Amino acid sequence: MSLAPLAGAAPQIASLVDPGALLATGGAVDGLRTAARVLAEGIGKGAVYFTIAVGLTLVFGLMGVLNFAHGAVAMVGAYLGGLVLVLVVGANTGTLATILVFFVALALVFAVTTAAGSAMEVALIRPIYDRTPTYQILLTFGVSLIIEEVARIVLTLRGIQPNPQWQAPMGTAPDVLLGRTELFGVGVRRLYLFEVAIGALVAVAVWAFLTKTLYGLYIRAGSEDTEMVQALGIDVRQAFTVVFGVGTGLAAVGGVLLMWDPIWGPSVLLSIDVLLYAFVVVIIGGLGSFTGTLVAAGIVGIADSVTTWLFTTGIVTFPGLSEVTIFLLLVVMLIIRPQGLYGVEEVGGH
Amino acid sequence: MTTLELDEVHTYYGESHILQGLSLSVEAGEIVALVGRNGVGKTTTLRTALGLTPPREGTVRFDGEDVTGMEPHEIAARGMGWVPEERRVFSHLTVEENLRVAAHSAADPSAQIAEAYELFPALDRFSDKGAGDLSGGQQQMLAIARGMVGDNDLLLVDEPSEGLAPQIVEDVVEALRAASADTTMVLVEQNFRLAMDLADRFYLVDHGVVVEAGETAGVTSEDERIRRYLTA
Repeated sequence: MSLAPLAGAAPQIASLVDPGALLATGGAVDGLRTAARVLAEGIGKGAVYFTIAVGLTLVFGLMGVLNFAHGAVAMVGAYLGGLVLVLVVGANTGTLATILVFFVALALVFAVTTAAGSAMEVALIRPIYDRTPTYQILLTFGVSLIIEEVARIVLTLRGIQPNPQWQAPMGTAPDVLLGRTELFGVGVRRLYLFEVAIGALVAVAVWAFLTKTLYGLYIRAGSEDTEMVQALGIDVRQAFTVVFGVGTGLAAVGGVLLMWDPIWGPSVLLSIDVLLYAFVVVIIGGLGSFTGTLVAAGIVGIADSVTTWLFTTGIVTFPGLSEVTIFLLLVVMLIIRPQGLYGVEEVGGH
Repeated sequence: MTTLELDEVHTYYGESHILQGLSLSVEAGEIVALVGRNGVGKTTTLRTALGLTPPREGTVRFDGEDVTGMEPHEIAARGMGWVPEERRVFSHLTVEENLRVAAHSAADPSAQIAEAYELFPALDRFSDKGAGDLSGGQQQMLAIARGMVGDNDLLLVDEPSEGLAPQIVEDVVEALRAASADTTMVLVEQNFRLAMDLADRFYLVDHGVVVEAGETAGVTSEDERIRRYLTA
């Protein structure tokens, strides 16, 4: 393959980087402060990425099922969470009450989508376990399309534009979560701190489920060797139903978390956005690995934050820098370590 | 009392006809060895008994109950343990967690695990260690202990000496002897002498059927009726 076309493109790529803007970012102290802020925002984004990806990796780890409906469920979660907030929170609702409603919405959405996910596993996924993975991919992708189209129809009938963000729930975010707060001399978006707190809560809850419960033990054992778990007298099908339900519920929890985030927000397009980022995180971390998902979410979050800063400060003028960098990380990982950071070469399966 | 009975069992992998009408029975308290060349259906016999590779024809009875067509977890829950080829311990779990998975249905899992540690003191020392970090011999001990917890009446043991150094094999043999004190056992073993030393009776399998059977006492691989089925 000739490299000549790339040589011709070099000046264009160089023009995307503005050295003047790089120098104008200030002295050493400012530089450190900026680095700390970018890092903090990266951790905030990482918390979001972890929350939207952990359910996907849990399901793949035990069941070997790549759930292409994961993003659609997150989208439903964002709308359902938003619906609860819009219905309950009024102009006179206080900050504490609004946050309480948020947690009630989180719990409700988790319960409803976990039940729906379990039903989906029994009715749709279970009959095709013995088929090749292509069937699972096509089926879950089909479910995703159905969910998206139903959402479009419902939202259009309710007079809500389905593709741009639905602004109403975003308006319910309490003032305390808007703006920035000083943390060790660094101004950090309060919403990121909230997202980190929720992400940490989800991580601790999933970790406790995996390490402190008998079901978690079955899942960790089943992630390595499903047949052996069955041979020890454990009904793996029942575990599959529980895990698929919990994975679905976690996807929806991710959606509720994104409801107030102006970068994401409730929209039908959230479905594909969440799915893409969730896949990037679980592939970099290693399909089926909880630790891998946690680490990869941090890496992707920080990469996103750094590249967004490079663009917003004008150092790099290419608007797609963040997405390109994240997907480049994915490509590099697939080339040098296809099983991901913490993945094993084969997991789950039947 | 008959613990396990396979009657005219036919088992396939896809279109490959592996067990071609195999029949055997195992009485309570005995150790029965399945011997034969590689690929004749010994492992498949164990998998068929446990329902992992269900038979298309024939009957499997366990403790007098017809378990043909039952799910593996249903058969295992009735008291059939499995020590598979290549151990297959859960390498990312600790030794204790491996045993805890197996003891899930026991009335008192901690007591069962304590019993396993009593039988295999080496495992007790490594209870918090990742199973993947154990040596091959220690993993085999763990696999045997895991197969025993859960009040199993029958233990299916597949190639316990495979890939182990001679000194470690002796330890494994001792562990199996200890395990057999209160558990009936079906043993698949390539090492003919070891199988004959351990077992009370044997079945010689060839091309998916039993071609010879009897007491192990005095049987050697030099017997003409045995030798022709063990050499390629």
